[in-house]
Amino acid sequence: MTIRNAIRDHGQRYRPRMACLQKAEKVLLEMQDPRTGVKSQPQRLVITTIPHAITGEDIIAWLADRFQIDTQEARSFGSMLVALGYIYPLQDHKRLLIKPDASLYRFQTPYFWPTQQWPVEDTDYAIYLAKRNIRKKGILELHEQEQYNRLHKWMNHKWDFIVMQAKEQYRAAKERKKPDRVVFECQERAYWVVHRPPPGTVSAMDYGLERRIDPNADETKTPDFYERIMIFTQQSIMRPRVKSSVSIGALVKYCTTYNSHDPFLSKCLPSNPWLTDDVTFWTLNRLNVEVPSKMRVERWTFSFGELLSDPRGRDDFRLFLKKEFSSENLAFWESCEDLKWGTAATMREKAEQIYKTFLARGAPRWINIDGKTMEITVNGLRHPHRYVLDAAQTHIYMLMKKDKYGRYIKSPVFKDTMKKAICPEEHKFSDAQLEQNAKNRRPSLSPIILRQQELEQRAKMAANAPVDITQLCRFTTPVPHLAVYSGITDSPSLAFPAPSPACPSPISVALDSTSACERRLEADERKPEALGPVRGPVSKSRMALSLRRLLKRGCTPATMFASLSPKCHSAAGTSSRIQPISPDEPSQAPPRRIGNFFQIKVDIPPECRIYPIESEDEDEANRSASRGGVGTKEIICPWESLTPHNGTG
Amino acid sequence: MGKEECKTMLDALNKVTACYRHLVIALGSTSDSQNLREELKRTRKKAQELAVANRTKLTALLKDKTISKDDRAEYERLWVLFSSSMELLEVDMKRSLEIGQDFPLKVPTRHLIQTGMTGSTTTVAARAMSVQNMKYEADSNIDTADLRDLQTEISQVSQMMEEMEMKVQVAPWAVEAKQEAGAELKSNMSVGNSSVGVISICEEEPKEEEGGGGSSKGFASICAVIVFFIIVFAALILGYLVINMS
Repeated sequence: MTIRNAIRDHGQRYRPRMACLQKAEKVLLEMQDPRTGVKSQPQRLVITTIPHAITGEDIIAWLADRFQIDTQEARSFGSMLVALGYIYPLQDHKRLLIKPDASLYRFQTPYFWPTQQWPVEDTDYAIYLAKRNIRKKGILELHEQEQYNRLHKWMNHKWDFIVMQAKEQYRAAKERKKPDRVVFECQERAYWVVHRPPPGTVSAMDYGLERRIDPNADETKTPDFYERIMIFTQQSIMRPRVKSSVSIGALVKYCTTYNSHDPFLSKCLPSNPWLTDDVTFWTLNRLNVEVPSKMRVERWTFSFGELLSDPRGRDDFRLFLKKEFSSENLAFWESCEDLKWGTAATMREKAEQIYKTFLARGAPRWINIDGKTMEITVNGLRHPHRYVLDAAQTHIYMLMKKDKYGRYIKSPVFKDTMKKAICPEEHKFSDAQLEQNAKNRRPSLSPIILRQQELEQRAKMAANAPVDITQLCRFTTPVPHLAVYSGITDSPSLAFPAPSPACPSPISVALDSTSACERRLEADERKPEALGPVRGPVSKSRMALSLRRLLKRGCTPATMFASLSPKCHSAAGTSSRIQPISPDEPSQAPPRRIGNFFQIKVDIPPECRIYPIESEDEDEANRSASRGGVGTKEIICPWESLTPHNGTG
Repeated sequence: MGKEECKTMLDALNKVTACYRHLVIALGSTSDSQNLREELKRTRKKAQELAVANRTKLTALLKDKTISKDDRAEYERLWVLFSSSMELLEVDMKRSLEIGQDFPLKVPTRHLIQTGMTGSTTTVAARAMSVQNMKYEADSNIDTADLRDLQTEISQVSQMMEEMEMKVQVAPWAVEAKQEAGAELKSNMSVGNSSVGVISICEEEPKEEEGGGGSSKGFASICAVIVFFIIVFAALILGYLVINMS
């Protein structure tokens, strides 16, 4: 029986494998050899002499000799041993690296070695802090004080034990002789510097997420185990293979292209924040910075994917497309991404919105995709799911990539951006400045705040987006209040309620907008036409209609008459009419706020059924008569026609 | 009373745990030796005896349904102390097994880590065992022979811990500690080499009363200071009046 698990962890969390630890232990043991190991010397303190101190240069020389490597590499190896906690520095104990001079180090006792299966316990840390508190008579360092308070709060139930144990350990330590006591204190302090690093110390012990399986345990060979191996090998055989010349060629190309952009392999201008603790690099490369850096702009030329994935690049591209009057492609692509990554609750209405804005015939920002893709998409939209627009999105993506991307790279917009791009100078920090930087480290903005800012910006963009004048159709206008990338806003005469919590059904929305549009048209046109009815179906008089509605709905007369007057529209009245979305009863929702008192004859084909002016009863009646037609008549989503709705009749 | 006995035994267990940890830390380093292994063995045995005694006592007390709520809270607190001690002990035992296996004493090619500690741990062990001097009588292959015993003991302890968790219904997080933050500073640390003799009850008193007495002591001192200032202020006023009159 192996006594393996460190704690009775019923949650079964295991630290991932750190293979370097066992290898480092072997090296450590070799170093101990009195003949062939590292030469040690005594450390002279004020009164006592403590043996077994080793100098940094001795360690580096030994490592270089043992592994036949050069001094620089031996130095990095030595620093790694210190960072892992196998060797600790006696002076400057907070900086875990090897200095190639006569500074002294000592080996750590095996109990304090980092090992795979012994996680570092907070209880032990609390006991250590309590002991330190006793020794320093209450004066702890700032980070230690913070940790102490935190542990006191979270481990309160064990606090009695911690205090008792700390006192006992302190007393037991006093039983030893003075040199041993000093060594023990240094050892413990070094252990906690590695595992609870003070600010300014880089920890080598970040091991990532914990695993569900013990990486050191042997797996039992059950039939299930063999079945998994069989499935794996079968899938490996079936996998399509690429010629190695092709794949290696692709790798080489990738490496040569990205070599100068990789912060590990080449310099990071102005300076790598992880090394110098100076965040200029991050502030210059923020997501929506005004002036991008030259390296960033160069990246956009690598591939279309790079351009799109960088928000600043996307902005630039959007600008270019606006000049070319084909910004609906990018808007469609972005709204598809929004659909894919959005919440499941909003998916349905987003899909409908996208359909109305981009795909329907006569849509305001109609995109050009071929018939087959359109057919697949529309069929899919009957049961919208996250990836329903994938085919169309891919088509548009390839369209943009093949055609627009090339033109963008040659365009004056891009050239202008490239000219304006900045190339920051490299920082040259001295050691003292580096320490100062390390002290001045501050945490960045919380991701919650960043997300809020992003949403605000998106809403602002959706509200202020420039009007795409060529795409405005006289039959429909989109609804901006869903803040989806419709990008078009209406003129100020439309005071739609700002994001109303109860979203109207798409029908009402469409009718809303169409009526608004129509009203605007009429306001603009102001044709003095006869008061005769516009067309056949509109037979009832307006007053009778409105009266019937009044009786049916029990609405206040004020709003009723208000809705009849041509130009006014009570937003409040509207929103009270618009009821929460219910897909099987779309007919209840359409507003009646836009009433035309004067029958103005407008030049619109009779079969066009966009006007909601007549009662919804007629709408329903006629709707059931003339179904089908993807958007030739009114913009109803084809899947809506499939859902049976109860007439309000 | 049962409570006092419990506390005494818990303190003893606590002390033995602390000393055991010190001994295990010295394992594998240059202060490791035959003697250390023997010390570890004996400390371990003592810890186990104390653990069993504590457990029987506490379970008996906790099973008793007729105790008052305050008493029960107190026993739960003691239970948490006991189980935390046992957790530390278990981990230390497992680690000593591992390090003991990795650093056998008799193999000449296996070198001990030069940690700088060269002294012996006799005094620590003596403190743990509560004796004046340690006598070493083990034979030379203690490091290998002991490890087998150690394995059985570890499994015993693990079993005991599992039983404890299953049988005793104490929610450890519900216990409130009596000591506040910084309580370790309050006890008198002027005791140099503490008494190695029998665990005396008088050692506990200052620790226990600290919680209650500390606050009243502080209050009294504040009162004294206030009174002093009042008197000084009165003296100043009188002096001023006297000067004014003359």
